[in-house]
Amino acid sequence: MSYLDLTLADLHQALVAKKVTPLQLAAEALKRAKANGDNAFERFMENEAFAIASALKEPEANNPFWGIPFVIKDNFSTKGIETTASSNILNGYIPSFDATVVARLLAAHAVPIAKSTLDELAMGGSGTTGHKGPTFNPYDPKHERMIGGSSCGSAVSVCANIVPFALGSDTGDSVRKPASFAGLVGFKPTWGRISRFGLFPFAPSLDHVGYFTRSVEDAALALAVIAGSDIEDATTSHKQIEDYTRLLKKDIKGVKIAVISEVVETIRNKAVIAAFDETLTALKKQGAIVSYVSLDKQMLETIFPTYLTLCCAEATSNNANLDGIKFGPRFEGKTYQEVMLKARTAGFSELIKRRFVIGSFALMRENQDVLFLRAQKNRRKIVNAVNAILKDHDVIYLPAAPGIAPKFLESGDRLSDTYLIADNHLVLGNFSGLPSITIPIGFEDKMPFGGNVMGRAFEEALVLQVAEKIENATGYRNLSVKAVNL
Amino acid sequence: MNFEAVIGLEIHVEMKTKSKMFSRAPVTFGALPNTSVLPLDMAFPGTMPVVNKQAVINAIRVSNALHMEIDREIWFDRKNYFYSDLPKGFQITQARRPIGSNGWLDIEVDGVTKHVDIERLHMEEDTCMQHHLFDSTLLDYNRAGIPLIEIVTRPTIRSGAEAMKYVEKIRSIVTFADVSDGKMEEGSLRCDVNISLRPYGVTKLGTKCEIKNLNSIVAIEKAIEFEIKRQAELLLSGQPVEQETRRYEEVKKETVLMRKKTDAVDYKYFVEPNLVPIKLSEKFIQDAITSCPELADSKKARYIKDYGLSDYDASIILLDKEVAAYFDRSVKLSPHSKLLANWITVDIAGYSNKTGKTIREFSVSPEHLATLVSMIDKGQISNKQARQIFEAMIEQHGEPRALADKLGMMQVSDESVILAHIKDTLDANPQSIEDFKAGKERAVGFLVGQIMKKTGGKINPGLTSKLLLEELKKR
Repeated sequence: MSYLDLTLADLHQALVAKKVTPLQLAAEALKRAKANGDNAFERFMENEAFAIASALKEPEANNPFWGIPFVIKDNFSTKGIETTASSNILNGYIPSFDATVVARLLAAHAVPIAKSTLDELAMGGSGTTGHKGPTFNPYDPKHERMIGGSSCGSAVSVCANIVPFALGSDTGDSVRKPASFAGLVGFKPTWGRISRFGLFPFAPSLDHVGYFTRSVEDAALALAVIAGSDIEDATTSHKQIEDYTRLLKKDIKGVKIAVISEVVETIRNKAVIAAFDETLTALKKQGAIVSYVSLDKQMLETIFPTYLTLCCAEATSNNANLDGIKFGPRFEGKTYQEVMLKARTAGFSELIKRRFVIGSFALMRENQDVLFLRAQKNRRKIVNAVNAILKDHDVIYLPAAPGIAPKFLESGDRLSDTYLIADNHLVLGNFSGLPSITIPIGFEDKMPFGGNVMGRAFEEALVLQVAEKIENATGYRNLSVKAVNL
Repeated sequence: MNFEAVIGLEIHVEMKTKSKMFSRAPVTFGALPNTSVLPLDMAFPGTMPVVNKQAVINAIRVSNALHMEIDREIWFDRKNYFYSDLPKGFQITQARRPIGSNGWLDIEVDGVTKHVDIERLHMEEDTCMQHHLFDSTLLDYNRAGIPLIEIVTRPTIRSGAEAMKYVEKIRSIVTFADVSDGKMEEGSLRCDVNISLRPYGVTKLGTKCEIKNLNSIVAIEKAIEFEIKRQAELLLSGQPVEQETRRYEEVKKETVLMRKKTDAVDYKYFVEPNLVPIKLSEKFIQDAITSCPELADSKKARYIKDYGLSDYDASIILLDKEVAAYFDRSVKLSPHSKLLANWITVDIAGYSNKTGKTIREFSVSPEHLATLVSMIDKGQISNKQARQIFEAMIEQHGEPRALADKLGMMQVSDESVILAHIKDTLDANPQSIEDFKAGKERAVGFLVGQIMKKTGGKINPGLTSKLLLEELKKR
């Protein structure tokens, strides 16, 4: 057994006990990363990793990230390291600064080993649209199934035991959906809890920093390191960071858990429902009060179109800086319009251009009222409905997805209620900015699937507590492809 | 004239804050290109805007000076368009909720007070500076992100003279409030003019043209006058005025076509998602207002009331903030406010005009001017001598008393000293006493001349004449 097969918390103990060194870990992680065949990486950070790891001599017992190798989604700015967000328009772009989360991890002496692949500019949920092609799900050796996106490479890194922790970003469900398809813990805390400075924006009102771990405890440890206010991000909160790890062990007696009936009803996968029900039973056994609540089905069906309108509109504006003038590949032209046109034509895939067209259309003066502003109003209505549930309940608990990771060639019915609701309800966490965590709850055909707990703003501690109880019940702690296939 | 001109102005004021509107890069003027730049200013991915507090304070101060309603929440919007000088592909501005709205400003044109309605005042960021060369364009990002306030009037202005007075007053407010340098020629205050004509009595607005490239306050007046003439000629000859953007050509003193305006650009505004609305407390707003440096109108009232200056002198001094500061410093050191004002508005102003130097570059300190003025007041030197000392102070940077000594011109006003000279002179010129008694008035002139000659002109001539007459009568 390699130390890399341990959770972050256990690996930390091994490092403190000097059973293994940061340098050995970095070398092993890089070896595994390079051997991985799932198309998960944009770039390895060999030189940086070895330089950082070899400087780490004396373990820090109170610093869980000391010497821990980790992976960074390639839409986080990394100083001196090419960062492309898996888009050709950023080929060759080398940032001059670190994202705040990256800087905080480096300050904690964690060791970055690679930048991971994503859906181009994080705009996708399949893990197939990056400029280097599709990323595969390590649970499926035949490479027929996706791992989901957009944080596909980071999900691979953690479920294939390359690293115990990887940074992702979550605008719709880009951490929490792949976490479900990869049997991982995927956490997106409250909007404003973690600085977004240095995260390439997709849709800032929906963008969150998120991350993958193989245990809820690790998720709690990570939050304490990367959360907190940042002068570079005016939307970060000044709320105190809590001792999430200590609070994790609190029991959940009397905790009120809401299950939205309309979401569960659209899931036809029996394995998912059975596993979900089992976790509910376990939660009740531990003293939680579980109740089914209702949320207007028609409203739930508007999540997807509302999301699409808002995220495309914001995206078209956020990516207007990618014009080939200041950075990225340069195309010569007689006028500035020609320079921009050539760069953007060559730099973006058709899918991205389609999103920009949709976004631009929604923002046009004559359409704003009926598209963009209407979507914003609807978002507000949906958030009010979610908050109404959380007035009487502590958390909302639901299956994270309608089933296991889909096959690449499978095309679901995008107008079905299963797609519109069960496949999109995680967006509720982005609309509302509320903390939301996915944890594995079961398997079908040797492929994992997850459940999701969402709580009130800045109540990360409670969300983690409930997630940990589910983890205890399922025993799916430190789940990985390797562990499952043992 | 058959037509009434309907004019609205948009003024952009570059703020001289320490850092930029949303980035910590320093605001510099005249620095080497691309040296005051942080990743945000070049729109590197992942950078985020943070609002400059001083810029908000400045905007509150100017809004207050323009009698505006001040929004209690600060909102920003994105204005989306592609242009080579716009790094992000959008400008962060305040489209829907400007910090200031519904204000006014009274100006005086030819002795008549004119009330100008102001629609809005908002904060935004500047674009980068373009230098167009023969076959390429260079971009300087030093300017990108410098805080701007934009002040938009309602179309209540009717002439070039009114427009000029209005811009002068805005410039006075932003410079006295320490918000901006307000230099039109350097682009820290920029003005665009919207102008249309309509027959008197008609309420419907005519087709308007926008005039850009106005680099001085005089240019505003000239451009408007030209444009009124141009549009009037078109209308009188039965031709329509077309909606266009025109540029003012300083040399030809006329406006020329830049581009025809088709449908206005759709900027696809939406609320900036990276800035949550900022609530402003009453205290914050009041502090911003009360801590605002004194504006020209208030100073003027004080100059007239406390220092007894004429309206004219006060106005001349207050044309330039630096001149006013010079007066303020010197008047603290000397009670002779009117004399000081006179020196500042005549001699110093004359020197500035002659040399093109500003008062900042002027070598005579307010302290020295105050001393000079008190020497005149005490009769130690004549006005003529004072001018000579003034010249010497400019050239030699010396203290006026020392210079007066050096030039041998400290005027004697001590009566006993003067009297001694008078007695000596009379004793030496008995014939002149006789002449005086015989009614020959010119004997007095002769005697004064003798005394002056004797004392090298250092004696107070008025006092000498007076004492001489008294002494003559005694003899």
